[in-house]
Amino acid sequence: MNRLLNKKWFSVVFWTLILVVAWETGAFLVAGTKRTPENILPHLYQIIGAAFSTNKVTSDQTALQIVLINAGQTLLRAAIGFLLGTVLGFGLALLMKLSGIVEKIVFPYLMLIQMIPILGMAPIILSITGSINTSRIIIAAILTFYPVATNTLAGFNSVEKEKHELMYIYAANKFTVYTKLLIPGSVPYFFTGLKISAPMAITASILVDTLQGDGGLGCMLSQSLKHAMSIYVFWLIIFFSAFIGIFSSYLMGVLELLFTPQKHAERKKEGK
Amino acid sequence: MNELEEKRNQEENKNVEIRIKDVDMTFQDNRGNEVKALAGINLDIFKGEFISMLGPSGCGKTTLLRMIADLLEPTDGSIRVSGMTPKEIRMQQKFGFVFQQPVLFDWRTVRKNIELPMEIMYYTKADKKQRADEMLEMVGLTDFAEHYPKQLSGGMQQRVNIARAFGGRPEILLMDEPFSALDEFTKEKLHEDLLRIWKQTNKTIVFVTHNIQEAIFLSDRVCVLSPHPGRLSAVIDIDLPRPRTQKMKETLHFSELYGKIRNSFEGGSI
Amino acid sequence: MTQMLKRKKSIFRKIQENRKIQSALTFILPVLFGILFLILWQCGAINSLLHTDTFTLPLPSRINSILSQNIVKIMGNVKATVTVAISGLFLGSLIGYGIAVFASVCPRWGKGGLSIVAACNAIPIVALAPVMTNWTRTFSKNAEIRSMAAKILVVMIVCIANMSINAYRGLTEIKPYSEDMMAMYAAKPGVILRKLRIPNSVPYIFTALRVAVPSSVISAVVSEYFAEYVTGVGRQIRENIVQSQYSTAWAYIVAACLIGITLYAILLILESILLKKRV
Repeated sequence: MNRLLNKKWFSVVFWTLILVVAWETGAFLVAGTKRTPENILPHLYQIIGAAFSTNKVTSDQTALQIVLINAGQTLLRAAIGFLLGTVLGFGLALLMKLSGIVEKIVFPYLMLIQMIPILGMAPIILSITGSINTSRIIIAAILTFYPVATNTLAGFNSVEKEKHELMYIYAANKFTVYTKLLIPGSVPYFFTGLKISAPMAITASILVDTLQGDGGLGCMLSQSLKHAMSIYVFWLIIFFSAFIGIFSSYLMGVLELLFTPQKHAERKKEGK
Repeated sequence: MNELEEKRNQEENKNVEIRIKDVDMTFQDNRGNEVKALAGINLDIFKGEFISMLGPSGCGKTTLLRMIADLLEPTDGSIRVSGMTPKEIRMQQKFGFVFQQPVLFDWRTVRKNIELPMEIMYYTKADKKQRADEMLEMVGLTDFAEHYPKQLSGGMQQRVNIARAFGGRPEILLMDEPFSALDEFTKEKLHEDLLRIWKQTNKTIVFVTHNIQEAIFLSDRVCVLSPHPGRLSAVIDIDLPRPRTQKMKETLHFSELYGKIRNSFEGGSI
Repeated sequence: MTQMLKRKKSIFRKIQENRKIQSALTFILPVLFGILFLILWQCGAINSLLHTDTFTLPLPSRINSILSQNIVKIMGNVKATVTVAISGLFLGSLIGYGIAVFASVCPRWGKGGLSIVAACNAIPIVALAPVMTNWTRTFSKNAEIRSMAAKILVVMIVCIANMSINAYRGLTEIKPYSEDMMAMYAAKPGVILRKLRIPNSVPYIFTALRVAVPSSVISAVVSEYFAEYVTGVGRQIRENIVQSQYSTAWAYIVAACLIGITLYAILLILESILLKKRV
């Protein structure tokens, strides 16, 4: 039994099972007391069943199709905004490191952006740009931009003095110092920023969907909530977005391993 | 007599690599008080010699080393390396500096770490590979060329540090207590390696340490620095024959040198 | 040849190295920039830049007047949002910390639970909010209380995830040998917890709070969109835009920003007081 306990995945599986049991228990309780239990807490097997059923929920699409097609739209915009925000965030961090003046001016405003509920500004941005696609991208970009910029800057500043002195001894020029020292040194921090902002970009995209009804996960979400279509679409979207959020963060982790080969090596050593 | 003296002076002057003259260094500490780290240092360092700066913490030996490397500027006095300022020599990339910590880039393999100075100096690809191979061989880490720094022990990391410093073919090698964090056994091995490499390359080495035995074992001359303010108490010739062996540590002459150095030290504790 | 080595520093260099000037600039520069921005905005430069009219992007003076005219109503909404944010923050942090303590004391059982909680961090708020609204439908007959509960739940979950991860690090990332020292005195786990782990985790709590405070405000605002009862700053922003009352919407945006800034400033002050001794 002890050996089983020590396996890494045991704990995760254990708690997942507990969650599942808790959910099902809740579902039974609710089914016993409510007329339309699916609205509140359907059984998990019901949700899974809805995912695989071929019943058409709207005029020509099954539940699963709705989720996947709209997901594609939403995720595409989230991805574009994410890329934009990443590039801008990285660029700003670079600029802030290069120029003390820029850093001093920008830093408080950077903090300000974090404190402002950007998602709350979504409706305004929508009305300014007029186009739901552009606003999706802009908001996703802003939400990505802050964690990437601050984390990358922290990464630049985390490089020890001795490494700078080493470059100084060899009379390395500024470009060399940045390309050989600062940028590679900031990679772990950069990816921390990405791991934080990836789910946020997706959230932003979905949220903007809910504001205007022309497709996308958020739109289907609110429609399903108002019973324009089966409530199972709602639940499927919920689970799907939760999954996608977690997966995007995990994906960034995998990407990080690609860019930091030394982590593979370190793991090998620990494994020994 | 005068002619002879002049001639000898001229010869010595040709051999002087580093001339430290009347150097003072005053810092301002956190409260704004002035701390005199070094006062009136005068020293000539000859080409190709292995010279140690010995003293306890706070005696200014690292400060002196950093001034030679152009990491610090003396508040008074001058330092000339082959007649040029430290900055000029540094811009010509003629220094090698071995820090107390390995200061390796975690994201580069051992080989790539060694190649770093060469990249900055724009060596060709073939040159880099060849030189890196030579250095790896020299420190005995050929099998670990593709490993990452975190996979190596402290002693091995420090060896990479040294290989990197030598890799750039420096004229002058500056070493700041490179072995102080290592255990006795690793230290002994690295001492022998260092002396062997020095013999092959024949460059000037300025070595900072707080370990008397290490200083005697490695150097041609030992400069004893005393603190408050940091000053040169003595410069002692180490006339032990080369190549140095561990056995020499047991000789009477070694102990006499040890005693001589200890006694020339003024104030503080070593 | 042997000249005195007193270098002449350029004025630029002197400015760079003078600590007092640098600290002053850290304040002055952003403030100057902010004033410049406000001036540009008032003159309409921002409007022409973004090709918007003063209807959708009103001038600061207009926003200001709306703010002062409707201050009572605005404060009512502010109170709603702030209550949700702070309650959720408090409850979530407490529970999150408890989970972290559990995970640190029983690592074999707790670690997996922690990874699941961490995963919750990545769940989009937009998925949580409607679910919570649904679940609290039977909570009470009063729509206002129901919505409040739903919103607080959302904020709470977000904060639990955040606090538990950071607190866990604080409880377990202890300087080497400290645990060994405790073992030398045969200290019981409870004692170790009280005297070593918990004090060690305090800075990490503040790290968590630095992220949690703004994110609790954001979560509160977003959950307002999905709540039944129409109250709160975020909801007002949306309602006013839907009704094309842009200036009022902007007034609420300013209010939302101020909430975020004020709460964060309070946090920073608290942090400097409580962490003063540690340095």
